[in-house]
Amino acid sequence: MSRIGLAFRSFFAILFGKGLPADIAQHFGFISRVEAKPAAAPKPAAPEVRPSDGALQMLAILQRDARLIDFLMEDISGYADDQVGAAVRSLHEQSRTALARYVTLRPVIDGVEHTLTKIDTRDPGSIKLLGNVPADGKASKGILRHKGWRVERVELPKITPGQGLTILAPAEVEIE
Amino acid sequence: MRYIIGIDLGTTNCALSYIDTEGHSDPHSAPPVEQFAIPQLVNPGEVREESLLPSFLYIPGPADFSAGSIAEPWNENPVSFAGQLAQKRGAENAGRLISSAKSWLSYGGVDRTAALLPLTAPDGVGKISPVSASKAYLDHLREAWNTKHGDDRFEAQSVLVTVPASFDAVARELTAHAAEQAGYRDLVLLEEPQAAFYAWLEANPNWREQVAIGDLILVVDIGGGTTDYTLIAVTEEAGELRLERVAVGEHILLGGDNMDLALARVVEAQLNAKGTRLDAMQLNALWQQCRVAKERLLDPASEASDHGVTILGRGTGLVGGTIKTQLSRQQLNETLLDGFFPAVRSEEMPQVRRRVGLQEIGLPYAHDVAVTRHLAKFLRQQASKAEVGQVRRGPSGLACPTHVLFNGGVLRAGMIRDRVIGVLNSWLQEEGFEPVHVLSGEDLMHGVSRGAAYYGVARQGRGVRIRGGVPRTYYVGIETSMPAVPGLPAPLKALTVAPFGMEEGTDLQFPDREFGLIVGEPAEFRFFTSAVRKDDAAGTMLEQVTDEMEELAPVEVNLATEGQPGGEIVRVTLETVVTETGVLQLWCVAKDGRRWKLEFNVRERVGQ
Repeated sequence: MSRIGLAFRSFFAILFGKGLPADIAQHFGFISRVEAKPAAAPKPAAPEVRPSDGALQMLAILQRDARLIDFLMEDISGYADDQVGAAVRSLHEQSRTALARYVTLRPVIDGVEHTLTKIDTRDPGSIKLLGNVPADGKASKGILRHKGWRVERVELPKITPGQGLTILAPAEVEIE
Repeated sequence: MRYIIGIDLGTTNCALSYIDTEGHSDPHSAPPVEQFAIPQLVNPGEVREESLLPSFLYIPGPADFSAGSIAEPWNENPVSFAGQLAQKRGAENAGRLISSAKSWLSYGGVDRTAALLPLTAPDGVGKISPVSASKAYLDHLREAWNTKHGDDRFEAQSVLVTVPASFDAVARELTAHAAEQAGYRDLVLLEEPQAAFYAWLEANPNWREQVAIGDLILVVDIGGGTTDYTLIAVTEEAGELRLERVAVGEHILLGGDNMDLALARVVEAQLNAKGTRLDAMQLNALWQQCRVAKERLLDPASEASDHGVTILGRGTGLVGGTIKTQLSRQQLNETLLDGFFPAVRSEEMPQVRRRVGLQEIGLPYAHDVAVTRHLAKFLRQQASKAEVGQVRRGPSGLACPTHVLFNGGVLRAGMIRDRVIGVLNSWLQEEGFEPVHVLSGEDLMHGVSRGAAYYGVARQGRGVRIRGGVPRTYYVGIETSMPAVPGLPAPLKALTVAPFGMEEGTDLQFPDREFGLIVGEPAEFRFFTSAVRKDDAAGTMLEQVTDEMEELAPVEVNLATEGQPGGEIVRVTLETVVTETGVLQLWCVAKDGRRWKLEFNVRERVGQ
């Protein structure tokens, strides 16, 4: 790597608070050897999109707009039903709004549940057959037990570089 | 110029509507008005389009957001930003939030060009002036437009910005200044209640069948921060119906935010009585919850006796810390309907408390929160000679509207509208008149910006225009030449320089009053206005300044001209101009034709 390249990488890494990259530190002899870590330090180059990013983002949104993580992580066994109910009512409304804003959901089969429905065999992965399933796994109709959910559209905000996705909610500290 | 853009620069929300003048072939009808979705930061790293831009400005600090997460499509790294995220983050860190900039713009008690907002900012936060804050919202709208309509730059379109009818000449000029600084060209100002009425005209092309000669339309506009009244008379000219704005109300700092806060206080007191204390963040949540509860309970279809108010626990313990209470219909009625909209008699005037002694700097909120009492005062305003035969008045002198048009978020609530109508009808009945007809406003949140865009087309002759002119009378104070008495200021006479109703695009000269101004020395005139005295003709000299007048920022002029030695005395006369765009200007004119514009000096604090 060129010295200019090294200098730039060091500069930005230090500027954004990540410290001197280990390979550079090693290059200049500040540390003797890079310890092998199971999770490698994030590369300062253009952040690649990892499969977990979208999931972390969605969790952060549900926490931010509806505090869903707080709710799921709380031990609610000790509280009376009406106490839980009071919290859930507002949480439900906010979760729903947040979900609808970023993800468009449609039923897989838009029919009335517990009535007879035709089975579209073109996309077998979208339909799960239950009960007396024929040996060849093919059927043309059956009773609709669950409409299913299909994601039509996902519109998550762009991830900005430097956004710590693993922080679902920052700790809040009030200055007196 | 392809588009006509109407901007509602509101105390709590801004909106932008526009009309595409191309692609509409019929030259006799107005093209349709469209609503512009305003991109804005709604969360860190997330820009979304919303139909309203909350008028909140946040000045981010180094620890507020991670790098790059507050980039706007037109600015990578803004010094301040407006919109939903500003409002949200500002609730958590009030020291960096600017709100109600518009109310500060109309407040003469402070220097409106001085960097004083946010008022409670800690040292080190870059404060800005009320004018700059207004500029920031106008900047946002211009940039947002240019991001979406790159081929038709905002600067090349025809733009109309609305101001409260109750804004005086200084506040109007400052609004125009802010727009100028934001890069607006050929700006036209329009009064909000008029804009609301234009929106109604736009939605009702058959309006001529709905009103008749002699009708009087009351526009009641209650927004987030201000209450504004206007009367529009239907008259006739050459066989055509004519609309004339005949009266505007005083500036009343009272709106939906005050009402929601009042409800939150009631619920807080109820919680305190049970021993539950709320912190600042929870109070903020309570405020939002009360707003929702209010809207649900005020829905005419609602029969519920109360609405739950839930404040989730702070910290990670959500269920455990949840506080549940309710806002009952009785509380709502007592606080809102009886507190803000009491059924009063038409003789009841708002209570005024004289402000005495040292006063903390802050907005002069209305002391009396009864909207209906302010309405009674408005309808009892002194009649002008010009209005005779146009404004229907009852035996007691009360102006008696035949129609009412509502605008503003507060009046979306059916029960509040019904209360206002009920009170109004009880007054009309006393005066021996039939109940009012309610003109249906289509969209109470976007009506003003829509109406402004429609007015832009009307100005081009493709729609009816409301005639109005200057909604107040303006005076210049003239010191009398008398021997000085120690401890007493020289008595002040008042010269009427702009009479009530002076029309846009006209000017007035006062050749009888000459002033000797010294070149190189600034000269200052005290400046007064009255919304009540409507019959003072141009040039009338009043022997003294009366209680009906309100002092505004003084106007000053400096006759420094190039190459002319200082000290020379130039004899000048005054000239008043109301521009086509609705701005009042004062000029000094010398015999040889040289002219100097008098500027408002807003740096001086004006006594209230």
